[in-house]
Amino acid sequence: MGQLVTDGFNFLASQSGESLFRLFWFVVIFEIPRYTLSFMAVAAISVRTERAHPGKVNVGRISVVIAGHNEEDTIERCVVSLREQSLVPDEIVVVSDGSTDRMPQVLSALQRRGLIQQAHSTQVRSGKSAAVNLAVGRSTGNIVVNVDCDCTFDRHALRDIVEPLADPEVGAVSGNIIVRNPEVSLISACQAIEYMISISQGKQASGLTDQVSCVSGAFGAFRREALERVGGLDSGGGEDLDVTLKLRTAGWKARFAPDAICYTDVPTTLDALTRQRFRWERDAVRLRNRKHSDLLNPFSSRFSVLELLHELDFLVFNVFAAAIFPIYIVWLFVTYGELTPVILMAAQVGMWGLDALTFLLAAWMTPKANAFALVLYLPAYSPFYGFLMRFVRLAAYLQEWVFKASYHDPYVPQKVHRVRK
Amino acid sequence: MTLASPLDPDQTATPLEPEAHPVRACKVLVAEDSSITQDLLKLLLNRRGHQVDTVTDGIEALAALRKNQYDIALLDFHLPRMDGAQIAANLRKDANGLRLPRLVAITADIEGLLASPSSENFDHIIPKPLDIYEVGKLVEEQADIADRQLETADVAPKPRPVELKAAPVPVEPSFLQGLGYHFLAWPDDVGPTRLSARGIQATLGDPRFDALLITEPVSKAELATIWPRKALYVLPVIDLTGTLGGTADLDGSKSGAQSSGEIDRLVHEFRDRRGSLSHDLLLSDDLGDQLLGRVYVSNKPLDPIYDPSAKGLVSYNTTLIGSVVAREAEALCQRGLLKREFFDRFNVCVRCDSARLHVREECSKCHSSNLIDEPYLHHFKCAFQGPESEFRHGNDLICPKCRRELLNFGFDYDRPGTMIVCQACGHAASEPVVGFVCLDCGAHADSENCPTRDVYAYRITDQGTGFAEYGEAFLGETRHALRFTELPIELVVAMNAEAKKFNEDKTPFTLVNIFYRNARAITAEHGANQFAQARNLFVENLRAALHPSSDLVVQGQSYDFVLLKGIDPKEAQEDFDALKQAGERALRLDLGVKFQAFGPEDFS
Repeated sequence: MGQLVTDGFNFLASQSGESLFRLFWFVVIFEIPRYTLSFMAVAAISVRTERAHPGKVNVGRISVVIAGHNEEDTIERCVVSLREQSLVPDEIVVVSDGSTDRMPQVLSALQRRGLIQQAHSTQVRSGKSAAVNLAVGRSTGNIVVNVDCDCTFDRHALRDIVEPLADPEVGAVSGNIIVRNPEVSLISACQAIEYMISISQGKQASGLTDQVSCVSGAFGAFRREALERVGGLDSGGGEDLDVTLKLRTAGWKARFAPDAICYTDVPTTLDALTRQRFRWERDAVRLRNRKHSDLLNPFSSRFSVLELLHELDFLVFNVFAAAIFPIYIVWLFVTYGELTPVILMAAQVGMWGLDALTFLLAAWMTPKANAFALVLYLPAYSPFYGFLMRFVRLAAYLQEWVFKASYHDPYVPQKVHRVRK
Repeated sequence: MTLASPLDPDQTATPLEPEAHPVRACKVLVAEDSSITQDLLKLLLNRRGHQVDTVTDGIEALAALRKNQYDIALLDFHLPRMDGAQIAANLRKDANGLRLPRLVAITADIEGLLASPSSENFDHIIPKPLDIYEVGKLVEEQADIADRQLETADVAPKPRPVELKAAPVPVEPSFLQGLGYHFLAWPDDVGPTRLSARGIQATLGDPRFDALLITEPVSKAELATIWPRKALYVLPVIDLTGTLGGTADLDGSKSGAQSSGEIDRLVHEFRDRRGSLSHDLLLSDDLGDQLLGRVYVSNKPLDPIYDPSAKGLVSYNTTLIGSVVAREAEALCQRGLLKREFFDRFNVCVRCDSARLHVREECSKCHSSNLIDEPYLHHFKCAFQGPESEFRHGNDLICPKCRRELLNFGFDYDRPGTMIVCQACGHAASEPVVGFVCLDCGAHADSENCPTRDVYAYRITDQGTGFAEYGEAFLGETRHALRFTELPIELVVAMNAEAKKFNEDKTPFTLVNIFYRNARAITAEHGANQFAQARNLFVENLRAALHPSSDLVVQGQSYDFVLLKGIDPKEAQEDFDALKQAGERALRLDLGVKFQAFGPEDFS
């Protein structure tokens, strides 16, 4: 073993620049650009002065809509958190989507206590999209903020998320999601880092270039007029990505509010995480490459360069990277034989370095994420993200493309699957 | 004097409480030819602080009345030389504006007196046999009336608390005649403000009367005036009008052989049990005790029935209104004399306590009951979910979002639920709230905040039965005054002699009341005979132990008595243990003997 390491080290040290590229071509093509973007984002933001919050911006009447199924345990905490906002919502509308637990009773009680203004419970489950549509239909504000039942919020979250809507061209704003339960397991800790680095930071970067392509369903603010024009949410999974794409193609702008902070619990077991990511990736590929596939088509009326950019970003860095990754591994084994593990290790070391740097930057930019507690998990993060997630993505894409698995996902009721697009 | 409490549930139940004038010492003339009665009255009234003069014939009485200023004169109707009526007539004739004492006639024959025109001259009539306690109270009440007359000083006709009229014996319906019962009739004999002579007899516990017939429609509130009149409440109520329902003990409005059989049963049941009812309860003023007495005598529990005309929506099978029954019965439950069974729970108005509430579904925001149901449709394909009215175009259902037609229920769309929409304020919810509106005062309450009241049925307990049969002593309450009317006659005679001696030279005496606590237990286990034998043996032993000339042992109905002469109660009590031991010699059963001593001071 020790001999192998020495051999490998010697081997690497003897490479030239060009040969190093040939060795690590995968990493160079698919990983480094991602980090470059992050640096850019950081650079841009650090140059700009601290954005002053102009206090409470009057954007109009704010309705918070919440739709949930069997969420009797979490809904009260979410509502209380909303009531504690510096900018209190004018109205909270909650829908229990065919719950079989005591959620309807909890909603009645909350309404009687005056904590929510409207509570509706249906007897039959319709799915998240329809439930949110119902809630939006009954709400009366001209700004609609959609949140998930198990979220809680920072005091200024609502104020910060509606601020960009002062610009009349903005149709949707995404909030910043931070993991609430990182300490529960290794999996959740890695996700905490992931949210910090790739989701949070990633969105910040996208925000600068008007590339926010997904306003998170856990915490997103919409202009009612915009939402109505595009017909609200559509049936099927990934409704948050779906509606953002619809809004963008209709001409509305989507923004990211990094200070509007929302906390949520993430899956703590590999099993639950895998299922969640399968679903995300399947829905993403279905939406981008089927439903909204005309965004890639230069001859389509909905085509625009801006949209093309984030579509390509997804295609190249998610889909291709996932597809080619196993090919890369195999190629390494074929070409370099027993030196392959060492090479991969070397690559991993390099990744660790980049990750650490990115992590520090992310920690500096998002102080709320309590980064220091997560430092220890950093070494696990790279393989988690680099290897595991990539394989998950690959499998998800295959599932969707070959087996159309998203049409059997229980997230959406079966009755809806049968008829939706 | 007002008949207040059975009608007014808010007052604590002590009917006929005298007005709040302090009792003052009166000057009383007693004209009685029976020395027994004379001595007793004198003893009693003296104890109450009044000054008593006694005369034995009519001429003396008239002279005394003319000479002295008395507050009250108790005149026996049948006096030698001049009867009570003549005395009264003569007195009034010579009145000349002088203030007259209140004239009270004592007679065994009320009807005879009332038949005579001179009954007008008397302010009140009390029948023999005398109820000593009545006399005491009566004296004070009459003095009160006299005082107030003086205050108002009007020459208006003297206020009569009770309208004394010789009412003719009521004509009974044919099916009741020939049964040989004595009935009192409402309102002829007993009315809201009047009482006939027969009625008065009945209030003293005269056992001759069998039932109260209701001949005119009457409200429950009016019927409640039966209760302050002492013993009337133990009579069964037979409703001839058919309007009283469960309040009466029997609905006699349907005549015929069937009814007379029922009447027989009813009267006999009541009569038997009346016989064993303790005098304490029979002549009690306390509404609670009376209610217990009624439960005992009727041998039926107090059963609540739904009554839409009552404010509490419940009334009981007796002539008191529901809320009064509940109040008294609860107090009796506390004392362990009744036990209760849950009947129902009513929501009551938070403001006025009425149970007459109107229940309805309302809007949670504005409390209007103007609600309609709006079903919701969910279009699967485009995830639109909204009220059906937004989909409806004539006979078709068109999705407002994607404009497709909804054709196939369960495949294109379904109905996940219903919205309740308030037509007054537009607010919508999945569930309405329930609200109550009081029909008596209009107050509104939500179903969560509405207070409730539990209603119970009440049954008599063993403890209650014992109390009904033996009175206060059963409960082990010390020191209560005995009623002379229940004492055996030889004892009364002896006590009179002692009372006289006490009046003359203050010789003390003690009346010992013997109570057998285990009477019912022994009777239940060994039989009435065994108990009687044991009791007789005990009494014999006592007789043997005591001195025949100075002490007298007499057997009564539920108690036995010993009259100890020349000794006062405190001294007597010291000998109790010895006395008990002597009595229990050779006795196999433990009678649970309890002695109570009464001295001259207690007869007031």
